[in-house]
Amino acid sequence: MSAVLTVENLVKTYPGFRLGPVSFTVEAGSIMGFIGRNGAGKSTTLKSILNLVHPDGGSIRYFGQALSGNERAIKQRVGFAGGAVDYYPRKPIAEIIDVTRRFYENWDDGAWEKYAAAFSIDPRKTPRELSEGMKVKLNLTIALSHRAELLILDEPTSGLDPVSREELLEIFLALKEKGAAILFSTHITSDLDKCADHITYIKKGELVASESMEAFLSRHRKSGEGRDLEEIMLRYEKEDFREKFAD
Amino acid sequence: MKNLLIKETRLSAHLLSYLFLAFSLMALIPGYPILVGAFFVCFGLFQTFQNGRETNDVLYSALLPIDKKDVVKARYIFVCLIQAAAFVLTAALTVLRMVFLGNAAPYVNNPMMNSNPVFLAWTLLIFTLFNVLFVGPFYKTAYKFAKPFIAFIAASLLSVFAAELFHHLPGLAFLNTSERLPVQFALLLFALVIYGSGTVLSCRAAQRNFERLDL
Repeated sequence: MSAVLTVENLVKTYPGFRLGPVSFTVEAGSIMGFIGRNGAGKSTTLKSILNLVHPDGGSIRYFGQALSGNERAIKQRVGFAGGAVDYYPRKPIAEIIDVTRRFYENWDDGAWEKYAAAFSIDPRKTPRELSEGMKVKLNLTIALSHRAELLILDEPTSGLDPVSREELLEIFLALKEKGAAILFSTHITSDLDKCADHITYIKKGELVASESMEAFLSRHRKSGEGRDLEEIMLRYEKEDFREKFAD
Repeated sequence: MKNLLIKETRLSAHLLSYLFLAFSLMALIPGYPILVGAFFVCFGLFQTFQNGRETNDVLYSALLPIDKKDVVKARYIFVCLIQAAAFVLTAALTVLRMVFLGNAAPYVNNPMMNSNPVFLAWTLLIFTLFNVLFVGPFYKTAYKFAKPFIAFIAASLLSVFAAELFHHLPGLAFLNTSERLPVQFALLLFALVIYGSGTVLSCRAAQRNFERLDL
């Protein structure tokens, strides 16, 4: 499989927090789960690879091209959804779509209508009238309508009820079958159990692992560090608060 | 850029940015510091910046397949289009007041500023202050606008005060009349150059700041 996104030695430093070096590769037709606790640096990593924040070091390549200097062309092929972030919450969805579609060379009105109908999105509504799950679906629909080959999703399942989460994971699997690559961050390990092919795990800004889900689980099972993602993550992350609060 | 301007007018702009163009009509009010009309036009534009912050406009724009610096350029063009509309309307009313209402008693005995080319020059100066003191510094964060807006308010109110003061100074009474029009038009041309160069330089600095910004 070909690499759609390659991140090498990404570093970003803030006062009191250092991310990286982080390296991973997302392949076409695969789902990568990007996991870590709240504040581990997941959003900073995703924002860095979207050029929303400026890394202090490292390289980011999409479809074999460096992000720097090719941002316009690359963003035509990439879709981003920041969970339930709603843009223009009081504007009718139809108007937001009519403006958004103008920016994408590969915008497909048929795809928009198909996915909007499949997700029961009413274009007459405004984003503020949608539930959290519907907002995620709206962002996904926009990404799918310009035929994004890579979907980058920042905690898309956070705040969703179990049924909506299950639906969303099924959508991810269906998109993967169609050849799309998905990189999604989450701190909910059960999401990854259901659909991830690869996992990239960061802890306090540092890369713990980036490998196939199978290899990651197998390695930790052999060493007795946990049978599933949740156990492994708890082993890495759990702090002894009784010791911390001891007199 | 055309698509970004469509986005500016249909998604980003606040309705008040358009409605406050009506404050250009202040050019007809006698006995009033009519230059505050230009301030209110800018106050209407401020609503678009405030609205943009509340609707995640900057993030939406930065994720589009465009050059980031064009986000800033499109906003400057939108601001300039509103200011140009206000200026054209104000200029038309100024011509009306000078040509057809020049001898009307309320304007002849007006102790405050009259509409004339110098008034139009002051209008352009207020617009320049907005672009240089508010719009440019806003893009240092694309989020915080209190300090830049207070700076603009202070500078524009000082300008209104200065504009009302100057024509009372010895030898400068012509600034409030229809006399010495060549001098007045020279001042207007000078203000136009200041507006154009100030806006372009401010836009370039804002683009550089926005490119460096972590969103």
